[in-house]
Amino acid sequence: MISSLILSLKVLAVDVPLLLVIGTSLGWLLARRNFRGKEALNLLIFLPVVLPPSVLGLYLLMLFGRLPFMRELGLLFSFPAAAIAPLFPSLPIMVQSARSGFASVDVGLEEAARTLGDGELAVFWRVSFPIAKRFLMAGLALASARALGDFGVTLMIAGNIPGRTQTLPLYIYSRVEALDLAGANMAAILLTGVGVMSLLLVRRMEGAHGGAS
Amino acid sequence: MEERLDARFLKKLGSFRLDVALTLGEEIGVIFGPSGAGKSQTLRVLAGLSKPDEGYIKLNGRTLADASKKISLPPKERRIGLVFQELSLFPHLTALENVAYGLKCSDRLEVAMEWLHMVRLDELSDRYPHQLSGGQRQRVALARALAPGPDLLLLDEPFNALDGPVRRALRRELKGLFNETKTPIIYVTHDIEDVCSMADRVFFIRDGELVTSIPVQSLWDPSVQGSTWHSLGWGTLIHGVIEERNGLYWIVWDGGRLALRPPVKVEGDVTAFVAPHHVKLLYPDLPVDPELEDNVVEGVVAERVVLGGTTRLFVRACNLQWQVEFLNGSYATMELSEGQRVRMAVKPGCIYILRSVPNPCTIDPCTETQFERERKVPFSARRERRNGI
Repeated sequence: MISSLILSLKVLAVDVPLLLVIGTSLGWLLARRNFRGKEALNLLIFLPVVLPPSVLGLYLLMLFGRLPFMRELGLLFSFPAAAIAPLFPSLPIMVQSARSGFASVDVGLEEAARTLGDGELAVFWRVSFPIAKRFLMAGLALASARALGDFGVTLMIAGNIPGRTQTLPLYIYSRVEALDLAGANMAAILLTGVGVMSLLLVRRMEGAHGGAS
Repeated sequence: MEERLDARFLKKLGSFRLDVALTLGEEIGVIFGPSGAGKSQTLRVLAGLSKPDEGYIKLNGRTLADASKKISLPPKERRIGLVFQELSLFPHLTALENVAYGLKCSDRLEVAMEWLHMVRLDELSDRYPHQLSGGQRQRVALARALAPGPDLLLLDEPFNALDGPVRRALRRELKGLFNETKTPIIYVTHDIEDVCSMADRVFFIRDGELVTSIPVQSLWDPSVQGSTWHSLGWGTLIHGVIEERNGLYWIVWDGGRLALRPPVKVEGDVTAFVAPHHVKLLYPDLPVDPELEDNVVEGVVAERVVLGGTTRLFVRACNLQWQVEFLNGSYATMELSEGQRVRMAVKPGCIYILRSVPNPCTIDPCTETQFERERKVPFSARRERRNGI
């Protein structure tokens, strides 16, 4: 179990910063900019929410295994695949939160910052980001928990190779298959704890914002 | 006077056309006109938040925008301060941090503190905007806009949400800040009192067209009144004669009469102006305020127009077409459809005689003056105190 735990933590170490950067950028883009293909991009980001993980995994298999350039990278069934896989189902959660967060920032505040001498980047870092921060952190907590618990997509493109791609959720699956329920339970309790913690964190963010009662 | 701002531009917004020509020296200019005439949009174009389709904007000789040369400086390079109607204070920053926002120098917090001192908020520097009162927030917004030392300050009905006394105090304060900084100011309003008490120069705007500007003194000049006030197409103009009866002064015209607030220093033929929001509708079954008793008129609603948050009624009464404006939702229990009979009243002090009244701006008809007396330190004294430190 220890090697699976370490692997899961490694996956998180890669995914959390990626979720924050990509999710925040996409959320800001969807909330604040109008461009051609915005609807298509929106659809693409949120497709993983409605697709079964096996379907998503199959598409990713084809993408990484068939496309000439992608194939050369040799990502499939290795740690990079295990790290990338959870991004797809968890990114929509982060984007949704970030988009709501940035949409909640009054455009007038950003305009005020501009008249006070700020360029677009400064407006983002001094006004939009700090005000939307609670939404971003809440989204990140939920998305990270989702990424940690990813099973289907990881199984499809990274496989279930102990020590290489077997993350905690896959470990549980293998333990149950081997009828080692005690081992499965240990890992399950760990994951449940993380899930509850992230929900509590989200509640705190919302509570401090004066949001949901 | 030396010209500081020179702007001529055209901006199309759907079917709305904003056509502006204005020049301003080292003075306070007021853009005056009804809601929806394009006042706020004019400020947005000047500040660079919106690009003109044609024309140019020059400030102190710098070209800020020139559509023919495809120049349009972003807001950050224009050095124009803007106080928004909704103030737009940063909710995540304290009063001090808000004021310091536009300052780039190394001692920005000290400079911001000086500005807070100037608007008498030293004590509240660590409060967040939601912990401040309406008037205090206005002061923070003013200080924030002025702190970076802009070449021009724009104010978009910033005192709109405030009641009489606080509003008057802030107007005084603004005038004091102007005397101190000499930053030209453009102030947008639909309140005749603002025009009267603040402006050096008035720009009239109607249906997106801003072309007329007159010095505020000549606002009361008989030669101006006809054309300008008529072109505004807003408010009610009464052409009548001043008469004195039983110790009271009246404006009498063919169809009715209204009492005026003494002292009235004019005689003979005059034109008077009544702003739409100074005409109050009366509930049929409630007693009338004694102050208004002499000035009740009865008429028929000719037209009802809903403009954004306000409703405007055109009422035919006493041989005149009156404009009455109120916030949507007021008088909800009254039947105000077209053809309906209504009673309304105008405070004697809210009738502005547009004829060379000596020094008309000292008249303060619609608000109390008590607050003025309560102000502890006059602005000039505060300035000396600050310089003394």
